Amino acid sequence: MANPPSSFRPSRRRKKPTKLVRVPAWVNSSAFRAGLVWAVLMTGTGLLGINLFYVQIVKGPALRAVAQDNQVAVLRPFVPRRDIVDRSGNVLALDRPVYTLYAHPKLFKQEKDAIAAKLAPILNRPASELVQKFNEGESGIRVEYSVVEDTQARISELGIDGLELVQGQQRLYPYKEVAADIVGYVNADHEGQAGLELSQQNVLQRTTEPVRLRRMGDGSVMPDKIPSGFLNLDDLQLRLTIDTRLQRTIQPFLKKQVAAVGAKRGAVIVMDAHTGELLSLVSEPSYDPNEYFKANPERFKTWAITDLYEPGSTFKPINVAIALEAKVATPDTVVDNSSQITVDGWPIQGGMGGSSTVTEVLVNSSNPGMVHIVDLLKPDAYYQWLRRLGLGGTTGVDLPSEMPGQFRSRKTFLETRIERAVMAFGQGFSLTPIQLVQLHAAIANGGKLVTPHVVQGLYTSKGQLYWKPNLRPTRQVFSPTTTKALISMMEGAVEEGTGKAARLPGYRVAGKTGTSQKANGTGGYSESAYVTSFVSLFPGDKPQFVILTVIDEPAGGGYGGTVAAPVSKEVMRAIANLKSIAPSSPVEKVEPEEGNGE
Amino acid sequence: MLQRSFPKIYWKSILQPWQNIDWLLLILPIGLTLLGAVMIHSVEMNQGGANWAFQHLITAAIGLVLALALARWRYEWLLHWHWVIYGLTILLLIAVKFIGTEGLGAQRWITILGFNLQPSEFAKLGVIITIAAVLSDRPASTIPAALRALAVAAVPWIFVFLEPNLGTSLVFGAITMGMLYWGNANPGWLLLLISPFVSAILFNVFLPVWFAWIVVIAVIAWRSLPWYRLGTLGAVVINLLSGGLGHFLWGLLKEYQKKRLVIFLNPDQDPLGGGYHLIQSRIGIGAGGVWGRGLHQGTQTQLSFIPEQHTDFIFAAIGEELGFIGCMVVLFVFWLLCLRLVIIAQNAKDNFGSLIAIGVFSMIVFQVTVNVGMTIGLSPVTGIPLPYLSYGKSSLLMNFLAIGVVESVANFRQRLKF
Repeated sequence: MANPPSSFRPSRRRKKPTKLVRVPAWVNSSAFRAGLVWAVLMTGTGLLGINLFYVQIVKGPALRAVAQDNQVAVLRPFVPRRDIVDRSGNVLALDRPVYTLYAHPKLFKQEKDAIAAKLAPILNRPASELVQKFNEGESGIRVEYSVVEDTQARISELGIDGLELVQGQQRLYPYKEVAADIVGYVNADHEGQAGLELSQQNVLQRTTEPVRLRRMGDGSVMPDKIPSGFLNLDDLQLRLTIDTRLQRTIQPFLKKQVAAVGAKRGAVIVMDAHTGELLSLVSEPSYDPNEYFKANPERFKTWAITDLYEPGSTFKPINVAIALEAKVATPDTVVDNSSQITVDGWPIQGGMGGSSTVTEVLVNSSNPGMVHIVDLLKPDAYYQWLRRLGLGGTTGVDLPSEMPGQFRSRKTFLETRIERAVMAFGQGFSLTPIQLVQLHAAIANGGKLVTPHVVQGLYTSKGQLYWKPNLRPTRQVFSPTTTKALISMMEGAVEEGTGKAARLPGYRVAGKTGTSQKANGTGGYSESAYVTSFVSLFPGDKPQFVILTVIDEPAGGGYGGTVAAPVSKEVMRAIANLKSIAPSSPVEKVEPEEGNGE
Repeated sequence: MLQRSFPKIYWKSILQPWQNIDWLLLILPIGLTLLGAVMIHSVEMNQGGANWAFQHLITAAIGLVLALALARWRYEWLLHWHWVIYGLTILLLIAVKFIGTEGLGAQRWITILGFNLQPSEFAKLGVIITIAAVLSDRPASTIPAALRALAVAAVPWIFVFLEPNLGTSLVFGAITMGMLYWGNANPGWLLLLISPFVSAILFNVFLPVWFAWIVVIAVIAWRSLPWYRLGTLGAVVINLLSGGLGHFLWGLLKEYQKKRLVIFLNPDQDPLGGGYHLIQSRIGIGAGGVWGRGLHQGTQTQLSFIPEQHTDFIFAAIGEELGFIGCMVVLFVFWLLCLRLVIIAQNAKDNFGSLIAIGVFSMIVFQVTVNVGMTIGLSPVTGIPLPYLSYGKSSLLMNFLAIGVVESVANFRQRLKF
């Protein structure tokens, strides 16, 4: 049956191949022909087999990894940071889409001049400057940051090849420096750097867990693995306790006063005494968080939270409250109030001479009298009391970088009388202004130690509460009897004592001045550097708010009563207006002040 | 006794006309076609609404019927009709130029009653039959006879090339070479025939190799051509010229063809553009590993990373979903199919039948090698389908017709006894 093709019947025209074709005879043999065809088949199959082996078995695992890499699209959703609003819903911080304009001159299909001429009016920049930019490179030239949506639309409309608008986000602070100390700012990467933007980072950032999706060959993304709710962006806002109107009203007063007395800095804190809600926290000088990069980094901290100071006389009411609560004294207890006493060889001045009641000592802010009131307490009990009030610790405020106060060790405190003596008038230890506000709030609210805070929680746009921060629990430290006594003593301090400058016609005000020496950093006190402060409880008949004004290092000296109290007065006037607080029932001695119609 | 043997006799009488066909040659393409349908179905699942697998099977069924019909006819009648077949082939190729549908930058299809006829596919079979007839009349052992066969192949080749359809024109080349060789042409001549193309490529790739090639060609020409001085001179001159001619020919290629060739040489140069096909297909096949990712589980395939996956790149789906094992099975089936074709060629009773079998063999070997090579990045993307597996009605139908003709050769391998 074998009928190999070489058995072609010789045609008549066929010449003898050996004569013309000088190839070996075997090349034309039928066996060789069949063999070659066989060889082609085997080579073809073999080569493919070997290559498939190489691709699928040798390189297989690596290629599978490549495939998986190709097919997975990691999607980081474009999620704006949550808005921050004040207690009335005014937006303090929001995200808005912005675009960065890139130029890729190598893709230009028009002359650079022509493109620059079209862009110049939109970007508000000279065309020559744009051409210069275009000449910087071939591709990826950043022409403009922060192109807003309007401008972006106009640029897109031009339809110029080689221009690219990359969407990004920008954090906008409409009130600029008004709430800067509370809100803080985010950096270019949208990371909180100061204030709430830093401390509430987790709350402000919406979930941006990257979602791993399957990607198709044409680059499109398969929706089948999108977690449910992925596109349901919540409308939650971070609502603060801050009252922006109050904040804005206080700012100019403080600014003016800081400038007038040539002070280093100033701060006003307004807190709701019953809840610990901070209505205002104004610092001066401040900065514009929209342009944080232009500001002195020193200003990024909220110094009323982060810096310690010795409170001086503003701490005296706390000491009196301790004495009353420990039942070692009453407002009418008479103590020695010599004009000067000596403790451990240190002179202490400022007494009224003779004896005074506890009330008189506080109203007149007499240091020797205070030393004697504190002397009524057992050192150990006094120490326990101060600890119980949280001295040497923090308040738990929700702003970042709160500094714990500094307080003597138990041993030093108990063994050294002078330590206890200076403690009587608020020196020898330090705390933050916010902690002093917390302590005074306890007097204002009937004895509870509340936790100062600025965050109310996350609210939906319809005003429903979604999340509330966990605050430290409130602690009862004084009895209402004690605090009531203290309030009337502090009212006296404003009416008759050192805080007259804070008197507000028509309203009762409880307050206390403070002027303390600043530690000079070498273990002693500075001769010229003072911190003046004024703390007030308002309104005096039924205190609702605690207001602390601190003016740091007024250049020309001065006292809490003269430097800080006038600011506090304006703050209280603003609160009375904004919160529509009815004028107080008449104080015993109504004394119409200079007819300013209040 | 009678009852028991009755069905036997009955079946025998039905199968009588096909008693000598090569059953393996029939079963293997059917198996490949079924696998093709399964893989096409796997691909079309993410191409909403396509029913390619169904159409593939219907076409195969029609093809099978036609093949069986051809198998019981004496193939000798083709000898008498081969000029008609040749004429029809060329007519269709001309027709496609005028009434054809454009696709992929070429005129390729004639739409008849909703069926997209691709004349170039049928032309493959037409050329095989015509060359077989011409060579059986006058074997290619002389230069004039070889040139005659070559001229017969050249006419449809030119039409296909001008469509332009580079892939199919290359298949024509492979068929012609294989048949000329089987038809007693001197292997040296065949080498000389393709030498200008090799020369054109080498000239542009690496000059020293080009020089070496010219020398080799000179030696071959010297030893194989008649009037060897003139012949050698001619061969060398043509090779020298075609070095420069390469640029001219390059200019003749369509933009997409040039791109394919460039990208083939360096697919990573443009991974997201034209090189995409090659890279993604190779990745898919590699990702299949030993056992494959399972039917319908190939992510490269299911996520449409591989282009033209139901047609030219169907092997990528096999590689990814059925793995190395699946690929080897497919390769083995093709190998066995080709082996049957060679055996039929060896056993044919005349040169005509033998040459037809070898023509079909050349076509399948070339298409499988180039197509599979393309999917794993060994050969350029030329648009050559994988026989029986790739979706494409004209191609599938033609492949079954080819099997039918070869089966006829097998069926009537015994000389008629008068």
